Amino acid sequence: MFDYLLQAANIVIHWQNLLALLSGTIIGIIIGVLPGLGPSAGMALTLPLILKWNPTTALIFMGALYKCSNYGGSITAILVNTPGDASNAATILDGYPMCEKGKGGVALGLSATAAMVGGTIGMICLVFSAPILAEFALKFGPAEYFLTAILALTIISAVVQGALLKGLISAGLGLMLSTVGFDVITGHLRFTFGLTAIEDGIPLIQALVGLFAVTQALCLAESAQSISRIGKLAGGFWEGAVTYFKYPYRIIHSAIIGLIVGVLPAVGQSSAGLLAWAEAKRESKHPESFGKGDPEGLIASETSTNACMPGDLVCTIALGIPGSVGAAIFLGIMIIFGVVPGPLVFQEKAQVIYSLFFALILTSFILFLIGMTIARHFALVTLLPNEIIVPIILVVSLLGSFAIRNLMEDVLISLIFGVIGYIMLRGGFTPVPLLLGLVLGEMVEYNYHRAMMISGGSYSIFLSSSISKILIILIILSLFGPHLGIFWKKLRKMKGGKSYV
Amino acid sequence: MFKKRSFIFILIFVFSILLFFSSGYSSDYPKKPIKLIVTAAAGGGEDAEARGIAPYLEKYLGVSIQIENQPGAGGKIAFEKFQRTEPDGYTLITFTFPKSVIIEYMDKTGYRTKDFTPIFSWSRSNQLLVCHADTFKSFDDFLKAAKSKTLAGGLSGRGSTTHLAGLVAMDELGIKVNWVPYEGSAGSVAALAGKHLDFTICLATSAVSLIKAGKLRPLLIFSSKRDPNFPDVPIPRDIGLKLTEIPAVRLAMAPPNTPSNIVKILEDAFAKAVKESDYLEWAKRRLMVIHPMNSQELKQLIENTYPLVEKFQGMLKEK
Repeated sequence: MFDYLLQAANIVIHWQNLLALLSGTIIGIIIGVLPGLGPSAGMALTLPLILKWNPTTALIFMGALYKCSNYGGSITAILVNTPGDASNAATILDGYPMCEKGKGGVALGLSATAAMVGGTIGMICLVFSAPILAEFALKFGPAEYFLTAILALTIISAVVQGALLKGLISAGLGLMLSTVGFDVITGHLRFTFGLTAIEDGIPLIQALVGLFAVTQALCLAESAQSISRIGKLAGGFWEGAVTYFKYPYRIIHSAIIGLIVGVLPAVGQSSAGLLAWAEAKRESKHPESFGKGDPEGLIASETSTNACMPGDLVCTIALGIPGSVGAAIFLGIMIIFGVVPGPLVFQEKAQVIYSLFFALILTSFILFLIGMTIARHFALVTLLPNEIIVPIILVVSLLGSFAIRNLMEDVLISLIFGVIGYIMLRGGFTPVPLLLGLVLGEMVEYNYHRAMMISGGSYSIFLSSSISKILIILIILSLFGPHLGIFWKKLRKMKGGKSYV
Repeated sequence: MFKKRSFIFILIFVFSILLFFSSGYSSDYPKKPIKLIVTAAAGGGEDAEARGIAPYLEKYLGVSIQIENQPGAGGKIAFEKFQRTEPDGYTLITFTFPKSVIIEYMDKTGYRTKDFTPIFSWSRSNQLLVCHADTFKSFDDFLKAAKSKTLAGGLSGRGSTTHLAGLVAMDELGIKVNWVPYEGSAGSVAALAGKHLDFTICLATSAVSLIKAGKLRPLLIFSSKRDPNFPDVPIPRDIGLKLTEIPAVRLAMAPPNTPSNIVKILEDAFAKAVKESDYLEWAKRRLMVIHPMNSQELKQLIENTYPLVEKFQGMLKEK
């Protein structure tokens, strides 16, 4: 394998390949920054331009574009509280409050460093253990997916706000909204009221634009300040980069979480960052500072999200089974260039695959360089007065929401969700669990049905494998863990009291 | 300095947007870019095939082909818009037939596939019956097991073209199956590879890599012709079965009442495009099965498909 990697390094440093890598990285970041444009649209739109390229160069370009769009989404999440995709939802929790304190530059430094470190850790694990990780992912059947999604929802509802009940209400609302549209299991339409625009369900990105961008615009419109409350920037990019390495334990811990859940399709992408953030908060000595601009929270979410990204490619490359829409397109592109992903690809097309892996490791560093030279200046956005930034946020995000399907109804959906988000915030609810409920709702419902169909209606399927038993214990702990702790203490006190008497 | 440069960039941006909206008018066809609507999101199979054939169409039509993705409700949103589109030959639609007919039988729709003007079809998708390599060795093994107990079978989606073929076949074989629907082939293939399902029916291309690696085993291809990508896999006729064939073809159509001279020009361009060696090379790498059909053959196919879908419509939904 090391021979392959050395050969790959030799191939990647050809100037054409380096150029492809650089342009893929830059286009990826731009696509990530623009609302409504995700990696899937980005790859589909650039594909005609590269059809004549040599397969290695073309795949390096696409790989870089695919991987870097996620980083672009974190920039808008930090600066204007608008995640580019559900995978950036955790970034806003501590990233945006840092901007409010004037630390936008620091936050960008942290996220660029996290993209480099997390991305590299994730890629290295992919290089050395893709087939093993893929086997692990196959162990997850419908029952396990159902339990994993429930676990993600309970952990996040319990921790994001610190108020379990409010978190669960928000997540429950998301789950309810996720039932709208075509039901894959029965083939019927539900709660669409004859509106064709929501027959596929409530469109996710459009809802996300509403819940975060529109809500954010409404909140900013209340005051005549700027996003940075102190009206200037405190600390810069390098302060962020240096701060990042002060938390080595958190980095490793979050990267492991990102890797493990990253391998699981759909669940991983949306909840890796949130789960790492929740764990960081739970273990912290000062959990109250999380969500108010704690750099450790941002480190956890960003490292995990970036370590999770290569996980999406594990099943795609090692099995030929795509884990997400983006991965499906990447798979399609690989096939066009004559690289058919699957267990045999590591022997048949070793050179192309290892060149791709090597290039993806390299792209993490290029990402950091771009963050250092260009993206850091974006922090100035937080100094713009609200009367300028609010219309910009509204126009750009609603345009993005329209552009996804060329439907005016989608703009309306975004606006409605904007109002819902605003009311929730004013009522003391955070929209993050709602978003996660909306993302994972289909996963929860459909996999429950599938499990029951396979077992012929017996609930024992949820206890049949050791993975599902562990998941059930974790769910109980995440819901009742704090209460169990109190109960335990009381019990010990009572016993202790008795023995003294 | 910086401001001046960014101003120039903005100007370029604005002008390039204006260019999109400008269009010329003339009597002979085609004189301006043709819009080809894809009824799914960018990046899927339908989108890839549209983008793949577009450059060769441009070569023969002499105007550019602009792909526009109109995903949503399995294509219903796009079909309903298309029904009301001006039949001037400048807006075409491409999708996997008979997806649109199935949608008509699933719910009320504001369009009819019969009304659209057929132009050309270039490729065919084959459905495959696959199992895990450890479970069944041949189709006979499968049939024996299926008759003795109810197997759990994966579906690549309710209402999609791809699954109707399999449903019909299982019904005609008299096999009872616990159908487990997924959204697309990826989920059901993964569940099969992890042995959570007994078998699945999916597009041949979705399972090819795991079949080559020996993890999955193809048992039968639901088609009247063998698939060049799977020369050893039997078709129903080979094992003495007579099954109703549900077609699945990628085609292009024009709005209702498109004049026949326009159809002729488009049809010829498509027919030439699919003979280009570069295009065939591309199609081969994508494991596509090229199967050209002209507008007359397509018209016949569409007429024949309606009664088929009607007959099996009860299977599309859970009662």
